[in-house]
Amino acid sequence: MKLSRLLTVLSLALVLVVAGCSNGGDSEEDTSSKNNEKATPPSSEEGLTIAVESNFTSLDPHDTNDNQSYSAQSAIYEGLLGFDEDLNIVPVLAKDYSANEDSTEFTFTLKEGIKFHDGAPFNAEAVKANIDRLSNPESQLRRASLFELVEKTEVLSEYEVKVTLKEPFGAMPNNFAHPAAAMISPKALEQSNQDLARNPAGTGPFEFVEWKSGDHLTVKKNEDYREEGVPKVDQIKFKPVPESGSRVAMLQTGEADFAFPVAPNQVETLKEEDGVSIETKPSLVVKYFSMNTMKEPFTNPKVRKALNYAIDKEAYIKVVYDGYASTTKSVIAPNTQHYEEQEVYEYDPEKAKELLAEAGYPDGFETTIWGGTSSLKQKMMSFYKQQLSEVGVTLNVVPMEGGTLGDKIWGVDNPEDAELELYNGGWSPSTADADWGMRPLFSSNSFPPDAYNTAYYKNEKVDELLQKGLSTADDEKRGEYYAEAQEIIWDEAPWVPLAVPDLLYGKQDYVNGLTMLPSGVMDLKQAEIVSE
Amino acid sequence: MLKYSVKRILGMIPLLFVISIIAFMFVHLIPGDPARLIAGTDATIEEIENIREKYGLDQPLYQQYFDYMGNLFQGDLGQSIVTGRPVLDMLLERFGPTLSLTLASMAWALIFGLLIGVISAVKRNKWPDHLSMFLAVSGVSIPSFWLGLMMIQLFSVQLGWFPTGGIGGIETYILPSFTLGAGVAAIIARFTRSSLMDVLKEDYIRTGRSKGLTEYKVINRHAVRNALIPVVTMSGLQFGFLLSGSIITETIFSWPGLGRLLINSITARDYPVIQSEILLFSLEFLLINLLVDLLYGFLNPKIRYEEGS
Repeated sequence: MKLSRLLTVLSLALVLVVAGCSNGGDSEEDTSSKNNEKATPPSSEEGLTIAVESNFTSLDPHDTNDNQSYSAQSAIYEGLLGFDEDLNIVPVLAKDYSANEDSTEFTFTLKEGIKFHDGAPFNAEAVKANIDRLSNPESQLRRASLFELVEKTEVLSEYEVKVTLKEPFGAMPNNFAHPAAAMISPKALEQSNQDLARNPAGTGPFEFVEWKSGDHLTVKKNEDYREEGVPKVDQIKFKPVPESGSRVAMLQTGEADFAFPVAPNQVETLKEEDGVSIETKPSLVVKYFSMNTMKEPFTNPKVRKALNYAIDKEAYIKVVYDGYASTTKSVIAPNTQHYEEQEVYEYDPEKAKELLAEAGYPDGFETTIWGGTSSLKQKMMSFYKQQLSEVGVTLNVVPMEGGTLGDKIWGVDNPEDAELELYNGGWSPSTADADWGMRPLFSSNSFPPDAYNTAYYKNEKVDELLQKGLSTADDEKRGEYYAEAQEIIWDEAPWVPLAVPDLLYGKQDYVNGLTMLPSGVMDLKQAEIVSE
Repeated sequence: MLKYSVKRILGMIPLLFVISIIAFMFVHLIPGDPARLIAGTDATIEEIENIREKYGLDQPLYQQYFDYMGNLFQGDLGQSIVTGRPVLDMLLERFGPTLSLTLASMAWALIFGLLIGVISAVKRNKWPDHLSMFLAVSGVSIPSFWLGLMMIQLFSVQLGWFPTGGIGGIETYILPSFTLGAGVAAIIARFTRSSLMDVLKEDYIRTGRSKGLTEYKVINRHAVRNALIPVVTMSGLQFGFLLSGSIITETIFSWPGLGRLLINSITARDYPVIQSEILLFSLEFLLINLLVDLLYGFLNPKIRYEEGS
């Protein structure tokens, strides 16, 4: 075959391939002509395009555990209770609720006249069907633990339902407000779990349209939504865009109206862009490194305090988060319920050296930190290394890929066998409650592999306080218990708490009302496109 | 040739069987507990146990292997631990986008690679050769994540010609296929150049020239055709690699393909998906190899497919 002929054939092939591929694609958006000027607002019919970080895993809220999926679900589903922007618990599908004295019985009065997207009525039976599913261990749902304490759910009348727990649990309303506790249409619940994960029907402001894995997920306005004038856009399209540079580029070209998250080091790029703004909000995440309190030299509280004094937290925030974080003044973040501010261990290397000398380590010691491999995490750990070297502590940094790290930490059955010395971690309590912010991390029942107490911290008083906090529904009392627990933990310093990072997101100026909850879940209900 | 092909295809079955064993061992040997990874960062031990039980991860390894093989023989690739969906559905969904992107990239790469290679061999040591080889070296050495992001910056953000990512009409193919094809084009160019230069030294070329054939005819009719054989082998391999999903390009351009699925599955230790992807990629390589061997005969009719060859 002649070369020229070969080339002709190849060019033809190219044209065919590309043309063939484009058949299925809907070329709805005309992206040309959108260069470096302000993006024009889409019409409300076109709706909003939101660039997110990763693929959605499921549209079955009961079987979901990632915030990304909760964001899409929050458009489709609602729970009996929910969180407002400041993470206060507010009634959503429930009109009202009450709990008995020792928080074992919760009675909900439901809003009337609400229908699921598939036409099924929302009533006490529907609520019972949902809670029965969640609390049935055989359904093997990922969020079953939120309702594992439920003994029974009773229908009192068409719009009244009572949930009884096996034992007192004061944080139960938080579990009802958790995004996983959403109410699914009983008709939709008849599907298999697998079908439900892709065919959702809730009561939310948006109805599901389609989901093409890895490409997009679309929801459209629920015309029958009970609130007048909501939702304000006809359609929302989520696009998973894993590369953070690409998400930023989409904001620049106007292909995305909203993008979350934005990497701290890309904020500058976007600041210069006309018509795009960056917003920040403190998250619920506490970044810390824990010290294995069962291992020398961290058995000595003086050593642990010394490390707390040795790290300049302000510098940490600048170096690691480009300033987009705030110092943490407790082991839980300020937005968490029953947060109680403590007195910060100010940066004081001299004091750190003194404490180390008092503890019998005048020349410091050598220790090892484990953590993840992302560039951010490696940066954190190098920062600790540099800081600790100033006080004579030699730190070996061992970054490990997630699975390996998990095996090393959670593969240990006996606390005495744990090799772990320091662990670079972060925690975000998905229920926004002090209980879930502390019990998994500081209770002596939470040693790996059961939970996340990587400091192997054990204090009987703290255990008792955490238990007391659970056994009452009295918010004031709970506040007192958790305040005391925070104080004790802070003083005993099993962690070096570092910072509460901000949620960083970018949006076009014409987008309004789309908010991020501190938990990292989007609230899309009030989202609108405003023309100037 | 048909007989030969059928024989080759049947021969793949035991090979795939062996690969399936290796794939199974391989994924179970990587450290990391899928149940814990999939349950998420703040899962309780009960939730983790639930997942383990639901997907049979609490069974002894040999039991898991027999279950896996048993299902495989019935054409069932299992269920993803992350999404709970049948793996086959997930692969089918992702295969189309990866295939079409690969074909587009290969087409670019072949056109530019061959052109550049032939030009530089013919104009050896003159400026077109230097320029071509400069381009080829750049093509190989520029990392695709950099090239991809630069293309987005220039053609999407600055000029606004193409979308930054996603799959849709022709315009969505240009940037990712170019990014993916650049490296391959460069390799093809280098291979074509050296192969063609070797052929040009052969006696029959000298004969052709002394017979008074025009230089165009010598190169076009005799030299290039023979020079293509190693190029075809290499292109086949490259094609296989691209088809295995180019992870970086698919990530940068938010392309819903197999590469991104693979990287997500590995991070989550989604065993059934990883195993099936390995099997699929192996099958692709085997088929491409067969195709390459068949192409040899087309390029050089002296190559015959005989019994036992």
